[in-house]
Amino acid sequence: MFDLNKGLKEKVTNISSALENKYKDIFILDKPQLRNFIEDNVGHISKMDKLGKETLIKYQEQGGIVGVDGSNNKVGGAFPHYIEIYQALAKSTWIKDEQLFKTDIYTPLLPDTSENLLEDQENKSEDNKDKRLATLEVEVAIESIDRFKPFAIMMDGGLIRYNICAYDKWMELKTRCEEEGIILFGVIKDIKTSIIGDIIMEKNKEISMQIYDREILFGILNYGEMILIQENANKKESEGYASIFLRSSLQPTVVGMDIIDSQRKHLIEMANLVFTLTPENSRGVPLWLDIVDQEVKLTDQMTRNLLETHMDRGIYERLFISERAKR
Amino acid sequence: MKVVGITTQQEFFIGSKERNFRINEFLVVKDTYQGDLLGEVVEAKTYNRYIPLNIYGDFVDNSVLESLKALGYDIDEDTIYVAKVRLLNEALYPVQTGSDIRLPKFSEIKKLMINTNPEDGLVLGVIRNTDNVASEMDNEFKNLLHTFEEGHLIPQKELPYIFDIRSMHQYPHIGVFGGSGSGKSFGLRVVLEELMLQGIPTIVLDPHYEMDFSNIALENSPDFNNRFKCLQIGIHVGVKFEDLSAGDLKNLLDAAGRLTDSMNNVVDVLFKRRDSYYSFSNRLQMLLDAQEEGNIGRIEARIENAESDEERKAWQERKELYESFDKSCPYSSVRGISWRLRRLGNDGVFSKDIREIEDGLQNGKLIVIQGNTRILQVFSTYLLNNLYHKRREYKDAIYKKTNADYFPPFIVVTDEAHNFAPKGYESPSKSVLKEISQEGRKYGVFLILATQRPTLLDETITAQLNTKLIFRTVRASDIMTIKEETDITIEESKRLPYLRTGDVFISSASMGRTAYARIRAAYSSSPHVENPFDELKSKTKEEDDKFYGLIMNKLPINDIELVHVITDIEKEIHLTFTVELIEEKLKNMVRKGYITKKETIFGYRYEKTNDIVES
Repeated sequence: MFDLNKGLKEKVTNISSALENKYKDIFILDKPQLRNFIEDNVGHISKMDKLGKETLIKYQEQGGIVGVDGSNNKVGGAFPHYIEIYQALAKSTWIKDEQLFKTDIYTPLLPDTSENLLEDQENKSEDNKDKRLATLEVEVAIESIDRFKPFAIMMDGGLIRYNICAYDKWMELKTRCEEEGIILFGVIKDIKTSIIGDIIMEKNKEISMQIYDREILFGILNYGEMILIQENANKKESEGYASIFLRSSLQPTVVGMDIIDSQRKHLIEMANLVFTLTPENSRGVPLWLDIVDQEVKLTDQMTRNLLETHMDRGIYERLFISERAKR
Repeated sequence: MKVVGITTQQEFFIGSKERNFRINEFLVVKDTYQGDLLGEVVEAKTYNRYIPLNIYGDFVDNSVLESLKALGYDIDEDTIYVAKVRLLNEALYPVQTGSDIRLPKFSEIKKLMINTNPEDGLVLGVIRNTDNVASEMDNEFKNLLHTFEEGHLIPQKELPYIFDIRSMHQYPHIGVFGGSGSGKSFGLRVVLEELMLQGIPTIVLDPHYEMDFSNIALENSPDFNNRFKCLQIGIHVGVKFEDLSAGDLKNLLDAAGRLTDSMNNVVDVLFKRRDSYYSFSNRLQMLLDAQEEGNIGRIEARIENAESDEERKAWQERKELYESFDKSCPYSSVRGISWRLRRLGNDGVFSKDIREIEDGLQNGKLIVIQGNTRILQVFSTYLLNNLYHKRREYKDAIYKKTNADYFPPFIVVTDEAHNFAPKGYESPSKSVLKEISQEGRKYGVFLILATQRPTLLDETITAQLNTKLIFRTVRASDIMTIKEETDITIEESKRLPYLRTGDVFISSASMGRTAYARIRAAYSSSPHVENPFDELKSKTKEEDDKFYGLIMNKLPINDIELVHVITDIEKEIHLTFTVELIEEKLKNMVRKGYITKKETIFGYRYEKTNDIVES
């Protein structure tokens, strides 16, 4: 036991120094230098403003903001003995008595007839999971247009994900929003892009590894600042989205925001909205999305209770209780 | 409003998104299988899953909430209300989860709340949190009283709490517990007012000189002046020595100072039935005189050398006493009895009788007996024994079909009851109180005992208190005692330290439950309500004005004339001041702006202050 710990300790130390080594070129860039580089090559760094009460009341009068988020949970063991449930929620700040929920359930034991049984189901199921969730989210978003007639729809996560996972439905949502003048944008808690890194690589041939934006932007922006990514720098541009990075809380991390390209003119306005709705001492996520997230969340306990109550106990025991769960 | 979570036959939780619950509120569960069940809220809570504004460890600031509000979302709307409800009667099965809840009608809870009418019962106050049903109640229960809340008189809005005095026949005796400032004395006052209105003969032992009902505090109040009488021991009432038995006397002397066995013996041997105070104390004194001589030879010498016949006769008597009692009554014990007797005598205990008390009771009055605690202990021992046995004789006589004078049933009330019936040691008044507590019910003699230290009250007596009024109590040991001695629940006992002044739990054996009530505003006010600091201020002002009145016409006063001023004052009101004192007083007047002091070539001069306008 003691030896193992010692071994692990060494390994962790090694990894730490390896990472330090890898990133030394980035880490030595100081803040002003990097900010200049961003200004020149990525986009303008500007300040966001908190929206005043009048503006917010105006939004409310035009239908309020709808937040959309999804959640899934899995019970059981390894493939195919598990069952997954999905839930998406669209919640309006304005119409309170109604909350739009949509749910789905899936188990590999009952594959959709449309799917090709010969394919490698196990790997595919991960994709399916994303698809199902994304589809549900887009569906509630579409429904929310009919029900709530909102001023804007705030999706949890980047918009490109829907493009990939739920293309048809997404196009429907996008079109309707464009037609009905509803602003559609997504807030990305965990940015996974490497826009700035790619540009750095382009400009500086010595650096050959991929550097992610979150690594670079950590602590670079001041509280309340955003980077409006230039059209030519943004790869998502080709898919029809405009993006920004913003630091909306006192935490040094940066969140991202996407908006459909045709609504680019609202980008700054929505960045300001996100900034307004984000508590100073938070992780940078607008409170509204956190509230929606809380309500949509399927906890382990809830999922288990659901299955235990409504599924035949024999089937449940036989198919979905893993050895691990019995420990 | 719905039943939520796991339920039992006795308790369950209910939840609501719209309606906040109040403690001690009554609700009806519409159980689909068992029909309507009546329950009482014993705990009320609110919960908002977003407040304390902590989602995933984030602290939410107000500006964001304000912004969300502007967007139409009010986080307070996500508050849910949860209450723990206890059924009044245990159900056969656990309450059905998901059952709806509704508010009860007055008719459904009437018998739980009110079991007598205002004419026959004591209207003590209101039952808290019953305003929902109060509008439906019968007219006879409306507009009976006012309550005093936050410094204002409020007309009755809730159900009245009416104590069924008749139920004391089955469930005798009342305890009133509560720390100082909890409203205990005030509650006692209201009880006494109601007893007077009912014309129930009552004796109040009042060590604080506060149970006077002549100051009326509320408009349209009944006049109590003919319904009560304050009597002070030694001035209005006392013990009639001639009526005392040796046992009574020993009790009295014991109250003045603990008696030893040998002293008890002295009383037994020396006291004769129908002795007067004078004859008995004289006998004691003569024996003491004889014992001080030391032996029979010296007493005989005294007889021989006596200068008059009278003296000789007196010494002769001393000799006889000495011969018969010296052996059985040691000198120190006789002395002990003698000083105890004199102590009581000096307090005036033996100067009057209890006739006035008896008459008052016969006329259905409330008799307040005032005196300091020690004297009260002594006197009450005698008095209660006497009255209780009068009542007892009458009742026994009816049973035995013999004749006896009528003596009415009555109630004994005392504050600081732990002084009269202390736990752990014997006291003379305790034995009579104990006797009344145990068998008074049969004879129609009841106790109302108030104390701020229930822990110090004799347990046998506490156990006999069938109704308890429990005011705010902070001491942990007293809360423990209350928990043990009453049927209040754990939840209620936790609320005890936080009760507002005048709020009270009334645990009643006849109702079989504890009510959360507020004592009504008293019709009369205590003579001690004036703030001592206000009193000080007004008294000082009064003194100053008086002095200013004295010197006003003599102004201006030169300091060389002070002696003349003193002589004048002495002539006018026969009060003599020294020069220092009058100078002191004049300086004081200057300091307070009544007059001014000027320096002249002849010394100081005190003048009128013209430029100060008197307010």
